[in-house]
Amino acid sequence: MARVELIEVTKRYGQTIAVDRVSLDIAEGEFVTLLGPSGCGKTTTLRIVAGLIEPTEGEIRFDGQVVNHVPPHKRNIGFVFQSHALFPHLTVAENIAFGLKIKRRPKAEVQRRVEEMLELVNLQGFGSRMPSQLSGGQQQRVALARVLATDPQVLLFDEPLSALDRNLRDQLKYSILELQRRTKKTAIYVTHDQSEAFAISDRICVMNAGRVEQVGTQLDIYLRPRTEFVANFVGDNNVLTGAVVRVQQRDGQRSVVVKSGALELHAVDTQGLQPGETALVFVRPENIEVLSDGVVSEDEPILQGLVEQVVFEGPTVRFLVDIDGRPFRVVASGPQRLTLLGSSGRRVRLRFHAVVAIRYEHAEAALVPGR
Amino acid sequence: MATGGKAIAERQEVAVRRPGLWTRVVRQRRRILDLVQHGYIWLWMLIFVLPFLTTFAYSLRTADGISLSPYQHVFGSFKDNLLLSFEVTIISIVLNLLLALPAAYAIVRFPIPGKGFLLSVLNLALYTPAAVMGISLVIVYNFLFHIAQTLTGLVGAYVVGTYPMMLIPIIVALRDLPQVYEEAARCLGANRLQTLFRVELPLLGPGISAGILLTFVIVFNEFLVTLFVAGPGNTTAALRVFNLTRTAGIQPSTAALASTMQIVSFVVVIAFFRFFGSRYLKGTYLI
Repeated sequence: MARVELIEVTKRYGQTIAVDRVSLDIAEGEFVTLLGPSGCGKTTTLRIVAGLIEPTEGEIRFDGQVVNHVPPHKRNIGFVFQSHALFPHLTVAENIAFGLKIKRRPKAEVQRRVEEMLELVNLQGFGSRMPSQLSGGQQQRVALARVLATDPQVLLFDEPLSALDRNLRDQLKYSILELQRRTKKTAIYVTHDQSEAFAISDRICVMNAGRVEQVGTQLDIYLRPRTEFVANFVGDNNVLTGAVVRVQQRDGQRSVVVKSGALELHAVDTQGLQPGETALVFVRPENIEVLSDGVVSEDEPILQGLVEQVVFEGPTVRFLVDIDGRPFRVVASGPQRLTLLGSSGRRVRLRFHAVVAIRYEHAEAALVPGR
Repeated sequence: MATGGKAIAERQEVAVRRPGLWTRVVRQRRRILDLVQHGYIWLWMLIFVLPFLTTFAYSLRTADGISLSPYQHVFGSFKDNLLLSFEVTIISIVLNLLLALPAAYAIVRFPIPGKGFLLSVLNLALYTPAAVMGISLVIVYNFLFHIAQTLTGLVGAYVVGTYPMMLIPIIVALRDLPQVYEEAARCLGANRLQTLFRVELPLLGPGISAGILLTFVIVFNEFLVTLFVAGPGNTTAALRVFNLTRTAGIQPSTAALASTMQIVSFVVVIAFFRFFGSRYLKGTYLI
């Protein structure tokens, strides 16, 4: 319904910088998630978009209009809070009708809209209950209905599911996504839970220490992390440093060969690394394949490793594998994992997939052992 | 040792033969303890209400025996005093509310330097002896404001005296009220004023009603400060009881006025909790 732009938005509290020159362009109807650890400035950013906090510097634009000095009640937004924030003295129906009554809509229209919203969130017949008589999931659904009732141009979510238990969270995140898709509203969603972010976003904006680390689709963030923080925060990664020895084109994608100790790794590169540069190389535990005996290498180099530890977690099995004197975390899933349970102390052959290299900014620290 | 063991064995035998005895003894002891505890509580309650009961009994005593006739004075010559008491009480409550709400809001929500000091100044009346308050007000009214012996002066004295009773409960309620409700209302399109009236005030109900109740009970029954500042035309019910007792001794009609005041206070408190209290307390975040 509206394009939302953040331009160099900064918020300072005295000496502390909560949000540091954040720029983000969110298209009409897009679902963008701000993902980051607690204290990274994601909630502050969201509250700045809502108008609950004024930025120290920078601009917020809705459809090209600067809204910095527009108070929250005139921004036509819908804000879903972590604690549902339903008014405890009003019934469910009165809560949903709140925004419409403020806007002085005719009584019949308000009533019709409330019924419509209750149906939308699957709570028909709950209108006369008090919020305290509902379960946590129902309360959050009412909060969603209350926000949608006024037909806002932007939906803002501040960790709306983090107070709920796991099953409910999984259910509700898809309801939120479905509602957003159906209403085609621009949405900004704040969370520290990556599986939530991956499940529902069009794009993810990873934040750390008040700054944007990377903006991109799920695949971008997962397969092509731009910074060490993104690589380590999203999922799990084995990290090593090495020197770029060659650049090559493979399947139309630029890749580099990085030598780290005795290992030579083929890695995807998006930053234009040159031979001689120091690079950080990431390999996700789930992207290391433990090969069955007899698999012959085509062009991917096959590595040898010694299994030091095996932890059975049910759907997955975690290994600690010593490759070239360095410990690698490996996760195996699928039926093959069961054949590997007894592999502790054995030598195995491994193949790395989706290896990523980025430029190492602090080259002198690369000499520190263990990296 | 042997005999001791034998005794224990015998006792066990008895216990096996008559299983309910020990339990019955314990139960009986418990019942006696219960009675003593209840009796103790009832005794103190009786001591507390005894002065009122005596006054009430006295108010029914006439030359012809027991009758309600002294109460005709309550609605006759004492009527004006009672009405005045109601009038000043209601005005004081309204003024207190108008003064305390914005003050509490400012103190809780905005960063004011010297907040603690400000709060102790505002609560000065709580630890000022009534006689000191009385003489101070007389001096100030006579030499500074020139409102001595007027109704304005009387109401002013009550407001000064009971202001903390309104302020403190509202501050506590506001402090406990999560700010997220205010933010939710703002994001739903409500301006500051609409947020205040539709969300914050209803949720502050418990605090505000406590303040109203305290102000009512204190102002309606106030006597000592009234004695200092009330003019000849402004005799409240409490002051009338004192004046009559001093000039005419203890009369059944005076006791009737006193009993009426007591009953009014009692009924107001009960009614308040039944109607206002429950309506506002129910559904709030407190219950």
